[in-house]
Parts: sequence; C-alpha cells; structure tokens
Amino acid sequence: MSWTRRYAALIRNAWLVDLQYRASIVLWLLWGVTEPAIALGIWWAIAGSGTVGGYARADFARYFFGVMLINQLTIAWDSWYLDRWIREGELNFRLARPLHPAHEAVADNIAYKARTASVILIVWLVAAVLWPAVRLSATPGRLALTAVAVLLAAGMRFFISFTTGLLAFWTTRATAIMELHAGVSLFLAGRIAPLALLPPAVASVAGVLWFRSMLAFPVDLLTGNVQGVEAVLRGFGTQLGWLAFWAVACRAAWTRGLRRYGAVGG
Amino acid sequence: MPATLVAAERLSKTFQVKVRDPGLRGAVRALVRPRYRQVQAVRDVTFRIDPGEIVAFLGPNGAGKTTTLKMLAGLLYPTGGRVHVAGFDPWTGGPAFKRRIALVLGNRQQLVWDLPPEETYQLNRAIYDLAEADYRERLEELVSLLALEDVRDKPVRQLSLGERMKCELVASLLHRPPLLFLDEPTLGLDVTAQEAIRRFLIEYRDRHGATVLLTSHYMQDVTALASRVLMINQGRLLYDGALDVLVARIARVKRIELVLGGGDGVTRDALAAFGDVKSFHFPNAVLEVRREEAPATSARLLAALPIADLSIEDPPIEEVIRQAFAQGVEGEDA
Repeated sequence: MSWTRRYAALIRNAWLVDLQYRASIVLWLLWGVTEPAIALGIWWAIAGSGTVGGYARADFARYFFGVMLINQLTIAWDSWYLDRWIREGELNFRLARPLHPAHEAVADNIAYKARTASVILIVWLVAAVLWPAVRLSATPGRLALTAVAVLLAAGMRFFISFTTGLLAFWTTRATAIMELHAGVSLFLAGRIAPLALLPPAVASVAGVLWFRSMLAFPVDLLTGNVQGVEAVLRGFGTQLGWLAFWAVACRAAWTRGLRRYGAVGG
Repeated sequence: MPATLVAAERLSKTFQVKVRDPGLRGAVRALVRPRYRQVQAVRDVTFRIDPGEIVAFLGPNGAGKTTTLKMLAGLLYPTGGRVHVAGFDPWTGGPAFKRRIALVLGNRQQLVWDLPPEETYQLNRAIYDLAEADYRERLEELVSLLALEDVRDKPVRQLSLGERMKCELVASLLHRPPLLFLDEPTLGLDVTAQEAIRRFLIEYRDRHGATVLLTSHYMQDVTALASRVLMINQGRLLYDGALDVLVARIARVKRIELVLGGGDGVTRDALAAFGDVKSFHFPNAVLEVRREEAPATSARLLAALPIADLSIEDPPIEEVIRQAFAQGVEGEDA
C-alpha cells in the first residue's frame, strides 16, 4: 500500500480542480490578504508615531504579515465540505472506498495551503525587500519552533472544522456553528488585533480555550513576542492539549455520527 | 453448492425522524421541544445470495430496498439482525471489505465533475493500489465494453447522463470487485443507454463471475438482468425467488392476443363469450382468461372464429408487480 501515491493522487486532483477555477483562486487569495491588510491599516493609523499596548507601527506590520501567512497555513474549510457530503449524500461513495474520507480532506488541506501560502510567502518576501518594517529577525531555531506550532495549529483547526462539519449528522445548521466559531475567533484568535491589546479577561479566555493556539501563538512565536522557555513550553503544551481534545472529539463525532447516518434516501 | 456470498438474517433498520407541525408555530415548537418518531425502514429481512447471482430488489419508493442495499455495502448501521457479506461484517470490515465491493449510485456519482473521467480512474488506481499493468488492462477492457473510447478526455460536466453512468461503472470496477451493489444504475437514461448498461452488466458478470445486487424502477432492468428478485414493501420481504414464478403466482390470468381474419363480422359480444375483452379494435383484440383455461379457450377460439394470429402472454410485468404490491404474495417464500 502506498500512502505517498494515494496522497500524491489526491493532491494532484485537488490542484487540477483548482486550475478549473482560476478566478476563484485569485479571489480567495485576495480575501486572505485583505482582512489582515485592513486590520493593519487601522492599527497603523491608531499607532501613529507612538505605540499601542507596546506595539509600534513596525510591530503591527510584522504581526499582521504573520497573521496573513499563518492563517492561510492553518485555516481549514472542512466543515463546509463535510456538511455537503453528509446532507447531499456525497459521503456515500467515499464510505464505500478503502480510504477514510478524512484522508481526502487532509490532502485537500495540503493542496490549498501549499497553493495560497506559497503565494503569500512570495508577497511577504517582495514586501520585505521594499519595506524594512516587515523584515523578520527570527533565528533558524525560532523558525523551526514556529513551523512546529503552525503544524499543531493546522492539525487542531482541521479537527475543529472536521468535527463541526460532522455535526451535520445531527443538525442542518453545522455550517452556521462554524460561522459562529469563525466570528468568535476573529477576536479571540488574534485575527483583527494582537491578543495583548484585548482586555486582560478576554485575552485570558482566549489563552485558556483553543483560540490563541489556533493563530496568535504561532504568530507571536514567529515575530518574537513569545519569549522565554517557559512561555514557549506553555504555548506548546496548550496546543497539544487542545489538539488531543479536538482529535478525540472528532473521533467520537465520526463513530457516533456514522451510526445515525441516513445515507440520503432509501 | 457454492458458499453463500451475502447472508442477511432478520436485518432491520429504524430511522429517527423529526416531526414538525406545519406553519410558523410548528417551526417554533419544533425548535423548543423537538419531537421524533421511529420509522422502521427495514424489518426482519432474511435472505442468502450465492456467488454469480444477479438479484434485483423490487419495491415502490420508500419500500426499504435502497436502505437494505446500503446496509449490505456497509454505509448504514443496522439497528437489528445480522449481515455477512463476502466474508465480512460490512460495518467493521474496513478497507479489506471495501476492496471486495463496488457501490454504484444512480443519483450520486464519484466522478470529479470538472475533470475528465480519466482523472477519477487515476485517483482510484492510487486508492485501490493497482499495479500499472493491471490498471491499463482493466481500463482498456471496461472502456471497450462500454464503448467509451471518445470520452476519456472530456470533462465530466460535458458528458451525457448515459456517458457519465458508463464512466461511473468504469471507475467503480477498476479494482475488479467480486460483488457489485447497483442502486438505480439506469436512472434517467434513455432506452439505448439503458440497454447498453444492461448488456455490459451481463457481459461483466459472465467474464468475471461477479455477483450483482441491484435496485431499479425499470422492470426491463429486472427482466433482462435478474435471475431472482427480492420483493420488498414497507420494509418487509414479501417474496424471494424467480420472477416467472412470481408472475405465475400473482397473475391468475393469461392474455390471449388475437389478430382476426376475414371480414369485420366478429363483434365484441362474440368475443365476450370466450373471456374478458380488454381491448377490441378490429382486427386486433385482447382477451383475458383464467390461466388454467388459456389452452382450451385458445382451441375454441381457433375453431369458432376466423383468426389470422393468436398468442398467449402473461399480463405486462409492471401490472403483475402492481398487483403483487396491492394484494401481497400468497404462499411467499420469505
């Protein structure tokens, strides 16, 4: 059995489908860039020549370039796919194949992330040449730690999205739940502001729950806002804990949901 | 006797369905206090299928035939009874079981909509871990049997419904499974495409000894393909056996189709003396007589009337099946 061959075929197919929808790729890329760009614009204006919560203009620039890249590397759309597969019966043929449908979802994630993140990375590199504010001074060690944090965050966001999608076994509102989660994460994951700028109580909720681990922690690790062995270890510990939680939740939702599955019609 | 390939014993499936009263008040009440009722889609169904058989599930919409098929394929979890398919419990059989089956759904297809079918074939080659030589050989065979040489590189969305179903069959059979589950494989297809699919299925079974379980609303599928039918209604198995035996059991009458010769002297009243006149448009007439009286009545007709042609037929199969569902099957095997 060749998992490499299977994944290569799944990723290849995902890219072939993407190539049929070139305009939508550009639109998704624009969406991925626009949201952090707008947030950066606002904070840039607010910071002026001073600082806000210890962040100067250059800090905001590096933070939101980090958000732009790492959000694309960790985001997962699986709940939307799962919801459709379950409600419209597209799960049927996937269940009849000797390959767990989650593998197709993982391959789609890899395909999507490789495509969008590589473009954003190029955008960042070009911007860094022209604009010193967004240049990073991260060491190879810090880059390696960030890579691990990004992997953990991507895994966790995949399980969150997959689990939420599986709620379609029980409800027709699975995507609405995911929309709600996305709305909350806009604030608690650090998409529109660094968590350090949120009220302390809100920031601590984001840190205790999974939201900081989704995005803000890897971004802060990359930009150097997480300092000290203890803070780094605490961040990784929280990520691992929530990753395990969501993996177990996903497994439970899958096995219980399948027993409820109506397979559409019959 | 060959070993049993499919064995279902008191197989049952109950769905929980949310009940909602009509109107805004009903919607709000359902939100606050949801109510459910149990729907028994399949009840205590028992049967066995041997290798190489082509068996059709017959039944009206909602009878439970597709639910039964999906339980056999491991898609649905049975709420009662036991099922054994190709040496596995379908629910726990995992990849080893899934390599032994193909599931073709007339209304839900696995072909990637935006790409040529060849891309789905390549994907399945990787998923089923097929060697390149096997893949090429099987693909050539299936493409040639289904006359699909010209559509390999057209995006699926540009194919006709018939071409899509044929390509779906190719994608589903590349791993050469010994057991095929086909749910409405000719759904919505024109007569030519339906016949092509039927011819292919018979040829495929003959070549590879595959066992086929199918559901279809087209009686032509059933009469052309199935050596045996499982008749299901309201979740219960009403009949398990050969189609002609079912017809003999249900159809108490035979149809005598006449072409009258000579002038137009024969009247409807004259024909009524021989049996129930179903239609009469000179020179054609159709009479219905009791099954056991058909030979004697035919002899009397030939002796009494100027007849150019006479044939004895069973009533149309659709009518027999309709009758069977309306009145049940007496002396059923199930």
